[in-house]
Amino acid sequence: MPLERGRRIMCMNIRINNKIYEAREEETVLDVCRREGIRIPTLCAFSGLPKETVCRLCLVEINLTDKLVPSCAFQVCEKLEVTTESERINKARRINLELLWADHAGKCAGCRKNRMCELQNLAEEYKIENFHFVPRKEEITDVEERDLLKDNKSRVVIDNKNPAIFRTTEYCIECRRCINICPDKAFGFNHRAGDVVVGTPYEKTLDCSFCGKCVEVCPTAALTDQNDFGKIIKDLDNLKKMAVAVVDWEMEKGVLRQLKNMKSQKNFDDLLTELGFEKIINLSKEETKNEAIKNIKADYARKEKINPESIVIFFISNKIEKKANKDEYLDYILSEREIARLARDRKII
Amino acid sequence: MNKNIKIITKYWDVADLKKIKNYESFGGYKALHKFIKDKNSDKFADEIKNSSLLGRGGAGFPTGDKLEAVAGSGEKERYFICNLDESEPGTYKDRAIVDNDPHKLIEGIIILSLIIGARKAFIYINGNYGKQEEILENALEEAYKKKYWGEKILKSDYNLEIGIFSGAGAYICGEETALINSIEGSRGEPKMRPPYPTEKGLFGKPTLVNNAETISNISWIVIYGGEEYAKIGSKNSPGTKLFVLGGAVKKPGVYELPLGVTIRELIFEIGGGLAKGKEFWFAQIGGSSGRLIMEKELDAKLEFGNKDFSIGSGAILVVDKTTNIYDLLLSWTGFFRRESCGKCVPCREGTFRLWEIAKRLQDGEISEADKKAVKDILWTLENTTFCPFGKFAAAAFRDAVEKLKILK
Repeated sequence: MPLERGRRIMCMNIRINNKIYEAREEETVLDVCRREGIRIPTLCAFSGLPKETVCRLCLVEINLTDKLVPSCAFQVCEKLEVTTESERINKARRINLELLWADHAGKCAGCRKNRMCELQNLAEEYKIENFHFVPRKEEITDVEERDLLKDNKSRVVIDNKNPAIFRTTEYCIECRRCINICPDKAFGFNHRAGDVVVGTPYEKTLDCSFCGKCVEVCPTAALTDQNDFGKIIKDLDNLKKMAVAVVDWEMEKGVLRQLKNMKSQKNFDDLLTELGFEKIINLSKEETKNEAIKNIKADYARKEKINPESIVIFFISNKIEKKANKDEYLDYILSEREIARLARDRKII
Repeated sequence: MNKNIKIITKYWDVADLKKIKNYESFGGYKALHKFIKDKNSDKFADEIKNSSLLGRGGAGFPTGDKLEAVAGSGEKERYFICNLDESEPGTYKDRAIVDNDPHKLIEGIIILSLIIGARKAFIYINGNYGKQEEILENALEEAYKKKYWGEKILKSDYNLEIGIFSGAGAYICGEETALINSIEGSRGEPKMRPPYPTEKGLFGKPTLVNNAETISNISWIVIYGGEEYAKIGSKNSPGTKLFVLGGAVKKPGVYELPLGVTIRELIFEIGGGLAKGKEFWFAQIGGSSGRLIMEKELDAKLEFGNKDFSIGSGAILVVDKTTNIYDLLLSWTGFFRRESCGKCVPCREGTFRLWEIAKRLQDGEISEADKKAVKDILWTLENTTFCPFGKFAAAAFRDAVEKLKILK
């Protein structure tokens, strides 16, 4: 029996799909299945966050009740027998996915999260192609206008005024990850039932520390990085300008992880070169970007006889809070997600 | 069966029981005196258990079991909550209790709180019941002056504080975990169970939540004993129940009848049948979340534990053949689409889509795809939602599809 912080952890055997697995008390069915590589789809569950059990996709059958139970919250117990795939489970998952998919179907091509979206991946996996419902979320901010139209539309809240995070409830699936992960408690629910939207109090423009954790965990395009991609691409392609990438400590890992999710095994340096960066500076753990940027703008520019004005500095970092408070000489900040998005848009991966 | 036995409504028409003097003159607060004299909460807990009183909110859970769980818990701090968040469409029995006999409710709250050892009791009242809140405030003040609650109740060592908490009128807050969330200041949405409120309820402490009608039975049980109570009504669900008769009957209103009465008796004897020229079509038992009962099923008994239908809140809507079923469907689905808390996917999206389809049904534009969608949505509401709300939302629509064949 393993020991954890001096306390004995009880172990037990449970049956999953007629095979015996060892499970530790306090583990949920989903924990065991993830550990053993048994596939269970989820949208709201996220490791380290409270178990909300709201997406109703991880439902499984067990021997203790006739009802379907959410595996993400169901704790293992002696003599438990779990079935993770059956016609009934599949039906439940498909219907619930279809209900969510109704607001996303046909919108993928132009979506910021295309190929990086958990809902899209699941819809593909479960071959959700029915169009029983028309999308109901559309940008109609005026309640009266919506009532006049009588067109079964729900209100959408868009926040593009804050410097770092672009929010639109059009793609929100109310999974609650952002609400739970936010250290500033910036998000909560407004309204109820079909009108429910995740948002800030009184729907004010988001004003937080912009740590970017919510963007990281958002399964869809409801929360994405804010940037002017048009301008960025122009600057990258401009032959008269030199694009320099200052890569933050450990960012290579992050970008490669994003690429892996998009099933690409591209080399990091190749990727940046193909994107149009002419010089790449990798920061070590101790180095600060300010020093590096100063070096380029002053020493390097003088040495190579380049006009410092025509050097465009891209700081590749997940510290997107810097977008709210940009330093001198710094032109753009790109997160690992945005690098992947750029690569996707430019058809490099 | 003696249909004339009355426990809750006995003196409603006799005097203005809102005045504490009148209530006392009909034996009011005698049960509390008896309890304070005995100071034996275990004995009265047993009496309630022996009465086999079932929760009148709709689920029909044995009150004695809940009481035992809270009273026997290791935690010192406990809470009692009176659930007066009545919001099932067509139901106004709890409102009628407050309107006619608020002190009976308060007496029950005090006794139950003292039995479980709670120092603080809440009355969670529907936000739309403004007038009833006022009645309760006045009644509480009168009872406080008489030392029925507060510090040293009737010169004993018992202390109890009672507070009224007004909700915002959300249907889902009638569900006890959502109700607790609401009092705690969180969003009114149900919580995961277990832990049950009897273990970890309000502010994480053991909490007993009872419906106002259930509580109104307590003073009778304390005085006459649990065994006497168990003799009333049907064997498996004893006692009387308030039924709210509405719709196309001659005499709509609140009626107190022993459980086990048949639907036919209630509609045609008590309610005087349908108005002249109107033909019975079906009855809906238990408000908007209730099942539909056709003519041939009218001899079914109204009691808890019935496997074909739940009596729910006790509201009975009688529908005659001139009714447009599509209007009714739109009203049901519109209610659930508005009142879903929006927590889980099948309920939030499913109730919305069902309402959408009900609108198309009313316009006569239903397609084959809609018919299939209805089947899927009803199934997912019944099988995959977080709380029982989904099942409620699907019940009437399901019966309309199967019994009234609305999709053909």
